[in-house]
Amino acid sequence: MRKPIAILVLLLSLGLAARAANFSVSLDRNTIRLGEEATLSLTFEGGQPSVVPEPTVAGLDFANPVSTQNSSDINGVMSFTVTISYAVVAHQAGGFTIPPMTTQIGGQRFTSRAIHLTVLKNDAPNEQEINSGLEPAFMKLTMPSKAIYAGEAVTCELDIYLRDDVQNYGNFQLTSTPTDGFSLGKSVEGRRFRAQVGSRVYTVIPLSLGLTALKAGPVTVGPFTGSVVVVLPEGGQQNQDPFFRSFFNQGTQKQVALSTEQLAVNSLPLPDPKPANFNGAIGTFTLNVSVGPTNLTVGDPLTVRVQIAGRGAFDSITLPDQSGLRDFRIFPPTTKTELTDKLGFEGTKTFEEIVTPQNNDIHKWPEFSFSYFDPENGQYHTLNQAAVPLLVSAAAAVPPPTLAGNKTTPQENQTPRDILPIKESVGPLEAVSVPLVFQTKFIALQSVPVLAFLAAFVWRKRADNLANNPRLRRQRAVAQLVRTGLTELRQLATDNKPDEFFALLFRLMQEQLGERLDCPATAITEAVVDERLNRPGASPQLQADLRELFQLCNQARYAPVRGTSELNSVAVLLERAVNELQALKT
Amino acid sequence: MRTLLTFLPVSLLLAGNLFAAGVDDNFAAANKLYAEGKFAAAAKAYDQICQSGVRSTALLFNDANAHFKAGNLGQAIAAYREAALLSPRNPEINANLEFVRKQVQGPTLHVSHWAGSLNLLSLNEWTVFTVIAFWVTFLLLGLRQLRPALAGSLKTLTWFFALLTIASGGALGVHAANHLSNGTAVVLSAEATARSGPWEEAQSVFTVHDGAELSIATRHDDWVQVTDGTGKIGWLPNRLVAILPGA
Repeated sequence: MRKPIAILVLLLSLGLAARAANFSVSLDRNTIRLGEEATLSLTFEGGQPSVVPEPTVAGLDFANPVSTQNSSDINGVMSFTVTISYAVVAHQAGGFTIPPMTTQIGGQRFTSRAIHLTVLKNDAPNEQEINSGLEPAFMKLTMPSKAIYAGEAVTCELDIYLRDDVQNYGNFQLTSTPTDGFSLGKSVEGRRFRAQVGSRVYTVIPLSLGLTALKAGPVTVGPFTGSVVVVLPEGGQQNQDPFFRSFFNQGTQKQVALSTEQLAVNSLPLPDPKPANFNGAIGTFTLNVSVGPTNLTVGDPLTVRVQIAGRGAFDSITLPDQSGLRDFRIFPPTTKTELTDKLGFEGTKTFEEIVTPQNNDIHKWPEFSFSYFDPENGQYHTLNQAAVPLLVSAAAAVPPPTLAGNKTTPQENQTPRDILPIKESVGPLEAVSVPLVFQTKFIALQSVPVLAFLAAFVWRKRADNLANNPRLRRQRAVAQLVRTGLTELRQLATDNKPDEFFALLFRLMQEQLGERLDCPATAITEAVVDERLNRPGASPQLQADLRELFQLCNQARYAPVRGTSELNSVAVLLERAVNELQALKT
Repeated sequence: MRTLLTFLPVSLLLAGNLFAAGVDDNFAAANKLYAEGKFAAAAKAYDQICQSGVRSTALLFNDANAHFKAGNLGQAIAAYREAALLSPRNPEINANLEFVRKQVQGPTLHVSHWAGSLNLLSLNEWTVFTVIAFWVTFLLLGLRQLRPALAGSLKTLTWFFALLTIASGGALGVHAANHLSNGTAVVLSAEATARSGPWEEAQSVFTVHDGAELSIATRHDDWVQVTDGTGKIGWLPNRLVAILPGA
């Protein structure tokens, strides 16, 4: 739709002279019957439209856009008119409104008015109207039977009647072919004939339509609707000789809407009981089975060809279940359907399957049976094919494969006559991938054991270093002792146990000073602090703090009991001194 | 997101199963063609499965069988060799490959015992073998650091795995180098003329037949320079050969 519109815009762009610009939309008629066409015209006058609007209404089709151009020169003033026409077809009866459309011509904006289209229901003419001879054309739909079986393939007849004075006809089209509960198949036009209907003679064009019932229960066909354009003689020529009418090619065209009645059909369910191997085949069939070759070895291919010929719905014909044939490996069959009639209801369906016997105990291809339901007599029929004798011999022994290193075995000189047979199963699938050794992530993963070894190596070096350095060992032991001691001191302060507090305080000072001064902890006294800690790096404040702590320890042996807060402040003092001591270089 | 993450593996698994089911059906159809004696059609069907990007030993094996039965020795050898890359110790592949090789006329490359023994493991198998030896070696070295008391008793074992790592690493290196090398050309046409240069008008040097395996020395545009193992060197157009990895 867009492409023709674009072409039309291009045509318009060839140049339109300015006169009084205008845009209008019109219908050739405002009332049509279902199946008839109306023509919608979009007319652009005096300029080039920047946009060609596209009509869109739900339930209406706007098809076959046609463009026409007119130009005129009146007193030196050029006038151009472009008209775009659409064939309007309705899907249903009712009232439709084609909304206003907007376009711009020469910078001016134009909006059309809304247009109403009434589509009347197209009822099939009744018997009296048909017999009156006033209908130039009509359709009739007939079914062979009012009762069919679900799955049955039937042919319905759609006859198109053209009155004897119709000089010509054309553009026949079916606009609606509803079939509720049927699948609509192929259609075939039959041989035309003439028939007397009421007071007039009609030419009958028969159409055969293939239908297959999809379900059991009430199903319907129709109403089919359509239209045909007929050429009728003009008013004064009705009684003229047909030879002269055709010779002078006179007459008027008339589009006639066609409609049929709706036919109700009762679709019957298939009766029970059904044969065990019935697979839904409905019709009338014959069976032919061929099997060959009949003399073969285990594993050789055996071709089984099953031909089912006759009339019916061939789509529903399948092979019976063969899962019970455990002695044969059965490959999926190929299917070929050859239809001999144009409706597709008659022909032959051939199944060809390759089977391979799995052992040499097999003596026959078993009996084959096929069941179908014949709707003509309402009965099931079973066709049987007798078993086919087979002569299956054991497979020749396959020479074992020659393996590397097997050269001394007697099989060395045995040359295999053929390659080893194919595998039955595809086995585990592998995607085509880059080998592991070329995958970056895989290579990177290999650094893990190296890193683990390096970590163990470093750990070992540190352990050895510690073992060979007693001062370092003492330093770490004292640091640990002081860490736990400070925690314990705070607890003693909280519990207000001054004796234990000062005893622990004194011991911690001895351990830390002994480690720093590299002398036994028991040798540490206040005098030692004065003598050996008087060196660069040890601040006077540190020395003063240590002295104070020693003095507090001494006083504690004689002084009265102190409170928790005072003990906590002493602990803080010790912590500060210890931190400064640990920062001193030994 | 959590739902997505929950269903993603299920979807992937489902997709994988559907894909595998499709391959199974196509494989069965190709087997049927083979059983019917339609070897060329069967080979084409197997090739189409391979072109979908999957490989299996059985698929390549059957493909090779079908090509052999259809009279395409080169295609058969190429497929057998590819199957052998997946299952290097499969006796049926090796038996059929040797059988087909014996049908090949004219000069062809002979695999040395050294190369043959190297090919007992695939490249990935060599990789895994080497990596295991490598990991065990370093874990033993690490254990010796953590438990110095065990160093004496672990010494022999460590040396064993270290030497195993070096040996398998060497084999892996050769295998990987082969893989990265110019590869092997298998002649696909009934008869192909190796020329003195990479152009059609060049002088003919020697003639090879369908299925001949030739070592590729170098490549130039759409030509490969090949040697037949006896010292003859010539150029063949790519369209007449299948190029396989490895020597």
